[in-house]
Amino acid sequence: MNRVAAGDEDAFATLYDAVAARAYGLIRRIVRDPALAEEVTQDVLVEVWRTASRFNQQRGSAAGWILAIAHHRAVDRVRAEQAAADRERRAGAASVPFDEVIAEVTARLEQEAVRRCLRTLTSVQRESIMLAYYGGLTYRDVAERLGAGLPAIKTRMRDGLIRLRDCLGVTLG
Amino acid sequence: MTDIHTLAGAYALDAIDPLERARFGRHLAECPSCAAEVAELTETMAAFSGATTEAPPAGLRAAVLARSAATPQTQPAEPRRAVRRPAGRWPRWAAAAAAVIALAGAGAVGYGIAHHPATPGSTRVSAEDKQIAAVLGARDARVDSVRVAGGGQVAVVSSDSLNEAVAVLTRLPSPGAGDAYQLWVISDGTPRSAGVLAAGRTGGTELVSGVRGAQLIGVTREPAGGSRTPTLPLVAELPLT
Repeated sequence: MNRVAAGDEDAFATLYDAVAARAYGLIRRIVRDPALAEEVTQDVLVEVWRTASRFNQQRGSAAGWILAIAHHRAVDRVRAEQAAADRERRAGAASVPFDEVIAEVTARLEQEAVRRCLRTLTSVQRESIMLAYYGGLTYRDVAERLGAGLPAIKTRMRDGLIRLRDCLGVTLG
Repeated sequence: MTDIHTLAGAYALDAIDPLERARFGRHLAECPSCAAEVAELTETMAAFSGATTEAPPAGLRAAVLARSAATPQTQPAEPRRAVRRPAGRWPRWAAAAAAVIALAGAGAVGYGIAHHPATPGSTRVSAEDKQIAAVLGARDARVDSVRVAGGGQVAVVSSDSLNEAVAVLTRLPSPGAGDAYQLWVISDGTPRSAGVLAAGRTGGTELVSGVRGAQLIGVTREPAGGSRTPTLPLVAELPLT
């Protein structure tokens, strides 16, 4: 990352090869449409190049930083598209099969540790996290969908993530 | 445990709206333990990315590398210092202006840079043009841009030292009959109007004042003449920090 921040294009190409499939795959799960996913991925990776000097390794791995940017942009995009669809009252825009995506992600979790840790969450914690992360839902949307109160959902998301963090042994600095 | 602290999970999942995000972002700047927690929770979700790995389309690599090669990088943040610029720093002005043109796309900018070019005998430059030029040429000018869903983009050049920014809206989708794009400066989660384009306009350049300490410049679609509070969601958002 230091070399990328210093403007080294070869280092950036190497970084691309290391993270592009993970970034694209995550973005495509969220925005669904492959052409849109390609556009968002391109924007994200150019953003990574442009702002590489802001990466702070005390705040996590380069992959974690890039995936966080990817997630943020994908969620923004899907919310904007959704809002545009709502404005035009496009039929069927409201019913999106998040559940399929979540089931697929869960089934494909190859790392035993991640699978095992996910199983230690309560079902509400797990659903809140997955709906927000892969569905691009706000905690308000999640609360509405699960018929729970806002403070409860905020707490479930945080507690669930903390449990995952501790189970996976993620520590920084 | 304060109430705002419980947002750490939702924040790490991007499960909050932009206003709350800006407010919580401000909280993070003052709460190192919260920032550390958010960083760890964000990193935790990266562990799931192995399950969604997918080879991107073949053309993406070349497209990304070509675009990045043409994109200037932001410099690491430097400690602020008093700025005293010598007169006539055209090269810097021109470089910033060129960056805005590159970001906003040719044809859009026509303002500030080539303003009044075709008015015979007019060499007068309005006060606002001068301010725009000053922002573009500021030593601490930062350039950022974002694409808008449905087409077009918004580019912002901001200067903390001048406490001003220039927002360039380019080829946005039509706001719809009787609607207009409105700009907002969001500080501590509180939005303040920073100008409204004429109804139906899909582009324009606006001078935005009072950006120091603000977290976000946002664009919304509003009824003609603008609204007192933004109608969510934001059409575009650009962080100022």
